[in-house]
Amino acid sequence: MTSTPVLLNRILVGILGIKLLAVGLFLVLLATVPAVAAWWHSWSADAWKGINQAFNNTRFPGRPESWLWIVLVLVTLLLMGLMVAWVAQQGKGRTNLLVSGDDAREVAGDVQIGGGVAEQALKHALAERPDLAGATVATYQVKGRPALKVRLLPRQGVAPHLLAAEVATLVEALDTVVGQRTPVLIHIGAGARTRFSRAERVR
Amino acid sequence: MSAADKQRVLHRETHSSRAVVATLAAGLVVVLCAYGLLESAVHAIGQPAWLIEPQTAAERLVALPAGVSPLLLGALGAVLAMIGLFFLLNAVLPGRRARHVLNSERPPADPRSGPDADEGGMPGSGGTTDGWDSPAVVVDDEVIASALARQARLAANVTPEQVMVVVSRRQVIVNVRPTSGVPLQEAAVLAAVEAELGEMALVPTPEVRVNLASTGVIGA
Repeated sequence: MTSTPVLLNRILVGILGIKLLAVGLFLVLLATVPAVAAWWHSWSADAWKGINQAFNNTRFPGRPESWLWIVLVLVTLLLMGLMVAWVAQQGKGRTNLLVSGDDAREVAGDVQIGGGVAEQALKHALAERPDLAGATVATYQVKGRPALKVRLLPRQGVAPHLLAAEVATLVEALDTVVGQRTPVLIHIGAGARTRFSRAERVR
Repeated sequence: MSAADKQRVLHRETHSSRAVVATLAAGLVVVLCAYGLLESAVHAIGQPAWLIEPQTAAERLVALPAGVSPLLLGALGAVLAMIGLFFLLNAVLPGRRARHVLNSERPPADPRSGPDADEGGMPGSGGTTDGWDSPAVVVDDEVIASALARQARLAANVTPEQVMVVVSRRQVIVNVRPTSGVPLQEAAVLAAVEAELGEMALVPTPEVRVNLASTGVIGA
């Protein structure tokens, strides 16, 4: 339901994994195979010479420091900023508005109904059920339009399809109140609260 | 919203978003970058290095097989490779969660009338949710297992401790330990569990297997 960038996560995590794996395998080879060590010696000496050359060629006039350091620092800072931005994308997608639009009548103005209306109403309706150990309702934005996510924690032994059907009727009642059909996702889950609570024996 | 959107949401709910692994990876990169910055800043203001001078680090790296014991180097490499493998597998594997979609759709008796026939109904007031009429339902396998265990227990007439149900993607395994001296019909348990599963209409539909333990429980 959230707008977590799933594909981006897979790609970036995969890139990091491949790099770490390659470095790790290379270190193992370096420690065990002498031929690899010899190759690394010749290659890295050349590379090191090249890097030193680059730093020497990019000195500030009249000073011993190279401006490549500043570039390196900037690139590192940019990379850190990108990583923070990436983390900030995880689990986004909550919204506050359930309905927002022009009601197309003579009176000017927009109609807005907060997501709290649906959340409070559904939570209240579900709070007294003995077969639920807990319920949370949240409004998310899916493709730019609001949708509700109802998370139910039933006690042990409750039939999920019956529970889902009953919650569906509640949602339908809510739809008539709000005057708009809202897409709903019901997630019937298990957690520590359901695992250690008594089994449902009433129904 | 269309039926395609519903399918997309259901797919996202039954598969891991890898948010935790992504956060771990980002944290790792940030920590490495911060350390590099720290060392170069310390170097720039002319203070002694915290752990290692950048210049010395690079020279050590160039001369690598020398200067470090091969055992330590190999172990370090193995640990790095393991961490890399962890991230890579997390990215490549499908990342299914232990959840099933509960098909609350009406049975496909009514023909599918144009999936996106009335796209863009009135925005705001009375907009239709063509295709996403009934709620999309996702159920944790644990909940399914406890519901099935309850049915199996009722059918077998045993205590809850004598029934254990394992639900995986395509299989449901019901383990029942009968009460000593009380005969137990495997077919009855199977029928009860299958009836309950049939009512749930899970996607994908798992197969049921009932195992009756050869030893009984005394005094249950």
